[in-house]
Amino acid sequence: MPVPDPFREGLARGWKTYNGAQLTDDLTLEADVAIIGSGAGGGTTAEILSAAGYKVLLIEEGPLKTSSDFKLLEDQAYSSLYQEGIGRMSKDGAITILQGRAVGGTTLVNWTSSFRTPQPTLEHWAKEHNVKGHSPAEMAPWFEKMEQRLGIAPWRVPPNANNDVIRKGCEQLGYSWHVIPRNVRGCWNLGYCGMGCPTNAKQSMMVTTIPATLEKGGELLYLARAEKLTINGDKVTGLQCVAMDERCVEPTGRTITVKARHYVLAGGGINSPALLLRSDAPDPHQRLGKRTFLHPVNMSAGRFDEVINPFYGAPQSIYSDHFQWKDGTTGPMAFKLEVPPLHPALAATLLGGFGQENARHMADLPRTHAMLALLRDGFHQDSQGGSVELRGDGSPVLDYQVSPYAWDGLRRAFHVMAEIQFAGGAKAVMPMHADARYVNSLAEARTLIDGLSLELYRTRLGSAHVMGGCAMGEDPKSAVTDSLGRHHQLRNLSIHDGSLFPTSIGANPQLSVYGLTAQLATSLGERLRNP
Amino acid sequence: MHPSLTETPALSRRGLLKFSLGATAFLATAGVGASLSGCSSSVPANGFAALRNGDLLFLRALIPVMLDGAVAVETMPAAIDGTLKSLDASLDHLSPEMLKLTRQLFDVLGLAVTRGPLTGIWGSWENASPEAMRHFLERWENSSLSLLRMGHSSLQQMVMMAWYTRAESWAHCGYPGPPTV
Repeated sequence: MPVPDPFREGLARGWKTYNGAQLTDDLTLEADVAIIGSGAGGGTTAEILSAAGYKVLLIEEGPLKTSSDFKLLEDQAYSSLYQEGIGRMSKDGAITILQGRAVGGTTLVNWTSSFRTPQPTLEHWAKEHNVKGHSPAEMAPWFEKMEQRLGIAPWRVPPNANNDVIRKGCEQLGYSWHVIPRNVRGCWNLGYCGMGCPTNAKQSMMVTTIPATLEKGGELLYLARAEKLTINGDKVTGLQCVAMDERCVEPTGRTITVKARHYVLAGGGINSPALLLRSDAPDPHQRLGKRTFLHPVNMSAGRFDEVINPFYGAPQSIYSDHFQWKDGTTGPMAFKLEVPPLHPALAATLLGGFGQENARHMADLPRTHAMLALLRDGFHQDSQGGSVELRGDGSPVLDYQVSPYAWDGLRRAFHVMAEIQFAGGAKAVMPMHADARYVNSLAEARTLIDGLSLELYRTRLGSAHVMGGCAMGEDPKSAVTDSLGRHHQLRNLSIHDGSLFPTSIGANPQLSVYGLTAQLATSLGERLRNP
Repeated sequence: MHPSLTETPALSRRGLLKFSLGATAFLATAGVGASLSGCSSSVPANGFAALRNGDLLFLRALIPVMLDGAVAVETMPAAIDGTLKSLDASLDHLSPEMLKLTRQLFDVLGLAVTRGPLTGIWGSWENASPEAMRHFLERWENSSLSLLRMGHSSLQQMVMMAWYTRAESWAHCGYPGPPTV
């Protein structure tokens, strides 16, 4: 029996949607609240405001793809579901940036790991960034609400072999490890979360909050890029969107004008500050796009005697925070340890080299495991993050420099990953670096890692977590919005997404976005009722 | 979480400007400036959406060197064609800015006046030996110019990713393919 596709059923029942690519004329749409971006922040906000009785319009740059479209193929997924056709990277091309771009945003393609914002992070924001109302106690009910909404619970199925290396290695070494909470219901344990969930088990926005919004009479406009806010004094008076072709590459020439009482920006890091930059929004203290964080990631491969099949099974189910807070919040750069899934195309680029060398690595793929370290940037004065800039065509790019402070963290992460991999049963380990090779003992790995020239391009770096760039905080000199996500200079504009974070999170950020935006949207709904 | 995955090209704007300055000397000498100033052909080759004839000449020389060891000699011609098809489709979905940068990389490789000095391959790509190709790739990987290191990384990732998205590549890497839902 085929898997049901509730989104298509909803469309057939008459949900109101507009496909930008198919517009033959320019269009004007009106709503109480226009929400720009349909990912974690936009979806959560849409559900809450539509349930409160407001007419909501969700605007998404990317295409509408539903479970029947997901064929578990890397090429189709990467080119259709990721920003810039997966071409997004830091300005110098050294860090690949994975962000979703489709109805549901990154929630459509993330690996389902769902952590509450760590307590030290929330405390650091209150202490250092003048953030009010987001203490661990104040946030707890919002996290709990969204955990229930999205089925978030520690994964009950045994981890796949790729994840189990963290458990085995940490147990051997006396390091702490835990099971990852995932936002799934009835998960088939397939391993293709990054290519769109074909069974609707992942509780992405596409199967939860967006259907709820459309069911309440909300509307969805997709393949429409929010180009520019029209601003008059301290008020947003309209939004100009350009319709995109089916590939989401070129504008079709049609435009959509949106008029709303209130505007919520939820395009995520990079895209949200970029829209404000394109709109010449007031930015008296030059904060827009600044302090954008990435959780830079480096990785280490391990070769095993036994079969790992790193392409199958829930991609992330075990993590270790053993090294995350041991030197406090603001010490040397710290990291969370997890694993990536390795499908062939991704693996071929990560394992590196070409010709015979790459061919040998790829022939070993079924016995290969990989571990990643996700570095907690933004907590130390030597970690200021990057800046969003506009390119000639108005599209954004992130200038992100890797500081010596960060390189030190990356080198320590290579050491720790090798140690855990050998302790977890690896016969050989290779840091993912152009000058590295597989070595057969921890002693050799230590010598190799100490000798690596850690520099851009030679060190394979990636990011799937863009945070900051429209920081929240009570002081307009250092923040774009207040602690309720209200723009400091524009009174009918709110920001509800990960761009609000004053630092990185120190954990996969989706639940941080859900909890925070549920809190902000609820408060916005009350304000709209009693202006 | 996540990986450094880059199927794409990575010439940054700043990197490219630096490079363009360096290349100006060659271009001025030869009296050619069209490509790097953005006036090069953007007409796709027959049967392709993004790749141009000049790009194909270079890639047909590069791909067999990249896939050596993963593809048997007798199936290499089909593997080259398949890789080109996949690469073309992914380039056709890139943002215009990233496609532009990728084409500038191909332009640098395609124009004889920049190709010789920067790659050590002075003749046409069709005549470049696999040894010469490997030498050029090693030279770029270890170049003192960050732009060339970036170019090396882009070429490696573009080709490898294009090939390993294809089902005919999966036997070599022991991937049974996605499950049926």
